[in-house]
Amino acid sequence: MSWRLQRFPSPKPSVALAVRAVAILLALVVGGLVVAVSGLNPFALGNQVMKSTFGSSFGLEDLGLLATPLILTGLAVMITRRIGLWNIGAEGQFYAGALAAAAIGLFVEGPAWLMLPAMFLAGVAGGMAWITIPTLARAFVGVNELITTLLLNFVATLLVYYFATGPWRDRGAGTLGSTPRIRYEMPELWGMVHWGFAIAVVLTVLAAAVLSFTRWGYEVRISGANPENALYAGIPVRRRIIAVMLLSGAVAGVAGMLEVAGTVHRLQGGISNNFGYLGIIVAVLARTSCLGVFAAAALMAFILNAGIILQTQGLTTSAIVALTGLVLLFTAIGDEFAHYRLVRADRATA
Amino acid sequence: MPDPRLRPVNGGTAHSLVSLRGIAKHFPGVIANADVDLDIRAGEIHALLGENGAGKSTLMNILTGIYQADAGEIAIDGKPVRFGSPLDAIAAGIGMVHQHFKLVQAFTVAENIHLGWGETPRLASARQLEARTAAIAEKFNLAVRPDARIHALSAGEQQRVEILRVLARDARVLILDEPTAVLTPSEARELFKALDAFRKSGNAVIFISHKLHEVLEISDRVTVLRGGRKVATHETKDCDHRMLAGLMVGREIVLGNYRDRSAEPGNDARPTVLELRNVCADDQRGLPALRNIDLAIRAGEILGIAGVAGNGQRELSQVITGIRPLVSGEILVGGKAVSHQDAAAFAAFGIGHIPEDRLRSGLAPSLSIDDNVVIREYKTDAVSRGPFFDPRAANRLARTIAADAEVAIPDFGMPVRNLSGGNQQRLVARREIRIARKVLVAAYPSRGLDIGAINTMLRYFVELRNQGVAVVLISEDLEELLSLSDRIAVLYEGRIMSVFDAESADMETIGLLMGGQTAAAPATSGARS
Repeated sequence: MSWRLQRFPSPKPSVALAVRAVAILLALVVGGLVVAVSGLNPFALGNQVMKSTFGSSFGLEDLGLLATPLILTGLAVMITRRIGLWNIGAEGQFYAGALAAAAIGLFVEGPAWLMLPAMFLAGVAGGMAWITIPTLARAFVGVNELITTLLLNFVATLLVYYFATGPWRDRGAGTLGSTPRIRYEMPELWGMVHWGFAIAVVLTVLAAAVLSFTRWGYEVRISGANPENALYAGIPVRRRIIAVMLLSGAVAGVAGMLEVAGTVHRLQGGISNNFGYLGIIVAVLARTSCLGVFAAAALMAFILNAGIILQTQGLTTSAIVALTGLVLLFTAIGDEFAHYRLVRADRATA
Repeated sequence: MPDPRLRPVNGGTAHSLVSLRGIAKHFPGVIANADVDLDIRAGEIHALLGENGAGKSTLMNILTGIYQADAGEIAIDGKPVRFGSPLDAIAAGIGMVHQHFKLVQAFTVAENIHLGWGETPRLASARQLEARTAAIAEKFNLAVRPDARIHALSAGEQQRVEILRVLARDARVLILDEPTAVLTPSEARELFKALDAFRKSGNAVIFISHKLHEVLEISDRVTVLRGGRKVATHETKDCDHRMLAGLMVGREIVLGNYRDRSAEPGNDARPTVLELRNVCADDQRGLPALRNIDLAIRAGEILGIAGVAGNGQRELSQVITGIRPLVSGEILVGGKAVSHQDAAAFAAFGIGHIPEDRLRSGLAPSLSIDDNVVIREYKTDAVSRGPFFDPRAANRLARTIAADAEVAIPDFGMPVRNLSGGNQQRLVARREIRIARKVLVAAYPSRGLDIGAINTMLRYFVELRNQGVAVVLISEDLEELLSLSDRIAVLYEGRIMSVFDAESADMETIGLLMGGQTAAAPATSGARS
């Protein structure tokens, strides 16, 4: 009796989940090996990371603080996946949202209860504005959104550098390469964790509900899975693409606004901390599930936090960026393997 | 290099190149082939005839090593062989050109010819490959452009590349699966010429088709399969249309009584539900596909659309279901001109559409069965409350539709692509019949179904018609069209060649019209050209 591997059109959900766990484990093993090769004890370091993260409320607060933007950028990418597109530009939209929110925070005066919503709306508008060109190019001319959204990231990054180090720079005694402190701050929810965390959670649950339990969400699903099928049923695919992409940009923009108003309190170059790119990994790990976004964002936050802790041990942050890359790589490989199952070969096959 | 000893003696008598003995193949719950004997002689074109699901493809997949038979033997030149994989079959000189071409679109003709071939030089420039290709093309007298990329070629040219690829590997038996389905009549004539030359050099062709006139024209012998078994093998010169059709379906005239109806108003008395006036439309590439179509579709009739695939059927079905915009002309739905094409509005009016390619446009393959089956009714109270979509209600509706379609589904959450093609087709058909209160447009509805399912589906169409629904039936199968339709329109290169009452139609005339010839047609109700 012989067996052979056969590719099935769709993986079993349980297998797909197990594959993710194995991928994360493998990434940690490879990461640990690299640490060992560089002469450090991976188990001791791991122990220290676990203790500093989960041993104190400080560690958990850090985790919450890091998870907030990751949930939102992950959500931004996941939303476009639902309609079969990739928003690689959450990074740029994050910057654009942060820039717009900072502009309001720096140059408009008013009571905090009014200014924070105003900054929120500015963040939404900034993120949407930054994805507008890729959206229209995709919807009307069929230009690949992967490339347009990616390229605009660099524009946004440099634009924020320009404002933070140029016209808006802090002329007082202070910090180099950032704007003065913005007066309007997100109130704190728990320790250092601000209300932005709650906003991220609520937005994610809301988006998941809209996508699963509305007619609009159903139409988005069909449009994403097979645009020709959507046109056959009379679903306006182009309008759905525009709405979904703008929504995605808005969510990433909110992430940028929250980072300015909740965590950094200034606009500075590099403020995104790669959150936009890490959002891609979050979305890939989460597939299309809302709960998955929380879990994947928590994992990424843990890895980033571990990087901060390990810096004190002489490891560079790029080692941690490499770890996130390994997670993505192994997941992508695993996803392909999840399609295969062992089946009993036809007995006539020699 | 081929072994010269294996070359058949040219002009030899009944030399059996390939013989199949007692071939059987079972799939879970299905007998695909049982006890099939088949002899292919050198120097003949052997037609393999049968309905969808008759077992033609399975038999050929066994002969080409894709499947392994559960029982029976294959012999080449009298020597028993066993094919473990397609490579073994190719080495034995058996090559197949599939209905859906298996070419790499982005590669050139030369690259496709040399792909996966042991005789391809290990290091060769594009120019060398093209020179080799040109030499092979000349040897077999099949004109191709070696440096052209596949996506730039017409269907006929692509088919020539496929044939050349098989012949270059020294095939002595060439199997062609529905080769003319994608060809224009002139391309088909070219193909027949090439096949004739191949036969004259002592090789054999197995020609799979269900177009009777072609089989009668080109083949030397005909084998008919039905329900996985061989019914008969005859010399083609002893056959005619009626006899072959009877052998294929196992009845003298298929479904012949479907057209009978009790006292009802005649054609002209029935109201028109859908009307096309001087409609022109483009195809996907922006080339004219429909030219000045005038057509009235009446309540309570089955209007058959005959024609070789690719003559505007796809665009016609899209235009009358609101998917494809018009270039000029107008459409009247229920007597009112529609201002712009809106598929949802057409569906809401009561126009159902079984599309020709269910996986391409009828279904979203990666989504669940629930999501796919409710696509026509998700806006109704059955599934939605206001803007909200109720997945549980969707599941209830999906279960109803699956039960009506007699499809057993273990898990409604699994992707619809996990279902067999036949079950997908049944679900789509049932889904569309539910909303077809005025018109049902059915393009090649029997594709992928077995005979029993076809009969069930055709009976549904008749029921719909008797309830006053107009059914537009697009098919290549003239038997099906003639037995079912009240009127038949023939499409050729985007024009309606003629519209006539099915009672007064005969296959020969329709065949001529399908080929673009406007010979004396019994045009009884408004022939237009």
